Amino acid sequence: MSRFFKSILLHILLTLLFGIGLGLAYSWFISPVTYVDANPALLRADFKDQFRIVIAASYASNQDLARARARLSLLGDADPIGELSAQAQRMLASGEAFENAQPLAELATDLRQGRVSEPFTPTAFPTFNTPDVPLTVTPTAAEPLLEATEEFVVTSLPTILFEQTPLTPITTAVRTPRSTFTPTAGPGAPFALMSQETLCNPGTPSLLQFMLMDSRKRQAPGIEIIVTWDQGEDRFFTGLKPELGDGYADFIMQANTTYNIRIVTGGTLAPNIIAPSCTDPNGQAYPGSLLLTFQQ
Amino acid sequence: MTALGIIPHMSSSNLIKLVLAIVIGIGLGLVYGWVIDPVEYIDVTPDVLREDYKVDYTLMVAEAYANDFDPALAAQRLAILGSEPPTGIVNSALEYANLNNFTQEEIRSLQNLLTAMQTFQPVEDIAP
Repeated sequence: MSRFFKSILLHILLTLLFGIGLGLAYSWFISPVTYVDANPALLRADFKDQFRIVIAASYASNQDLARARARLSLLGDADPIGELSAQAQRMLASGEAFENAQPLAELATDLRQGRVSEPFTPTAFPTFNTPDVPLTVTPTAAEPLLEATEEFVVTSLPTILFEQTPLTPITTAVRTPRSTFTPTAGPGAPFALMSQETLCNPGTPSLLQFMLMDSRKRQAPGIEIIVTWDQGEDRFFTGLKPELGDGYADFIMQANTTYNIRIVTGGTLAPNIIAPSCTDPNGQAYPGSLLLTFQQ
Repeated sequence: MTALGIIPHMSSSNLIKLVLAIVIGIGLGLVYGWVIDPVEYIDVTPDVLREDYKVDYTLMVAEAYANDFDPALAAQRLAILGSEPPTGIVNSALEYANLNNFTQEEIRSLQNLLTAMQTFQPVEDIAP
């Protein structure tokens, strides 16, 4: 190959590369592809959060679990349920009201269960019908004739009698009433300490573990717990470790320290909690863990 | 010297080859940049969503409004769809719903939201 030919080939190659560079610069920077028909999976994270909130609010209204699941799938999350729980936790951690995070947590729970949770509905209050009763006025005496006299005459007032039928409740719905009704505790009902279990795991820190369940025995996220002891106080929420459960929370105890626990929702107190003593295989004593289970 | 005076000792046929090379190069670059590996948008805003996604979002807001009856919250939720006023957004969604055989319940929800947005008066916070 002659030197001249090689030179021309090199020029052509360089020019081709230069042209490719120009084309890429134009298509990537000057006039890139513009999206006008994007799908929700491409949304920025904060807008995805807003979408989840609206999906959960819509689900709270229509209770259409399949549709909520389909809508969540549009966001392209690898774990939509986990994302819902995590967002609820983030909202609580940032100080938002529990009521704002609750629809997300409920949707996550229902998706996990695969069914719509029965909403809390108060029983229908019976309505009473007060019939329109014509007023009957029966004068007790003969019609007194009013005469202009100089003396002041007091005439007796007529007695008014009401003819009224007894009040009877009317049923507005044809639905047969339930034979029994078990009242369901509301979200602010107090928690009761159901069990206290000692856990001995040598080599692990002495944990005060909490598992909070609501009245339907579902794990309750976002419940604030206050632990106080003689030298301090700590506050935390359930559900901040979703991998261990939405109703789970824990706290590291020190040996020979007495703790008082207060569940903020409902104000339940569990005083004088101390780390249990366990014994390892070598006969050495060590502080164990405690699992406290509360239920509304 | 060529006519351009840039590339010495080059015939016109070679110059044509160079021009062809740059044209082909630009073409290849455009195809790669627009088709094969276009700029990927991963953090888009809701205003560039496809129309059906926007309508579904509006429907979700309408369904949520049927539960909480909070027009301010509904207007706030609709605001992420762009600078158009809430009534315009809901009206467009309602037209789309009528054209695309949405259920009567869905259309009713959108109509209720439209009514709420038409009568909604946002309260402005006046800083002291």
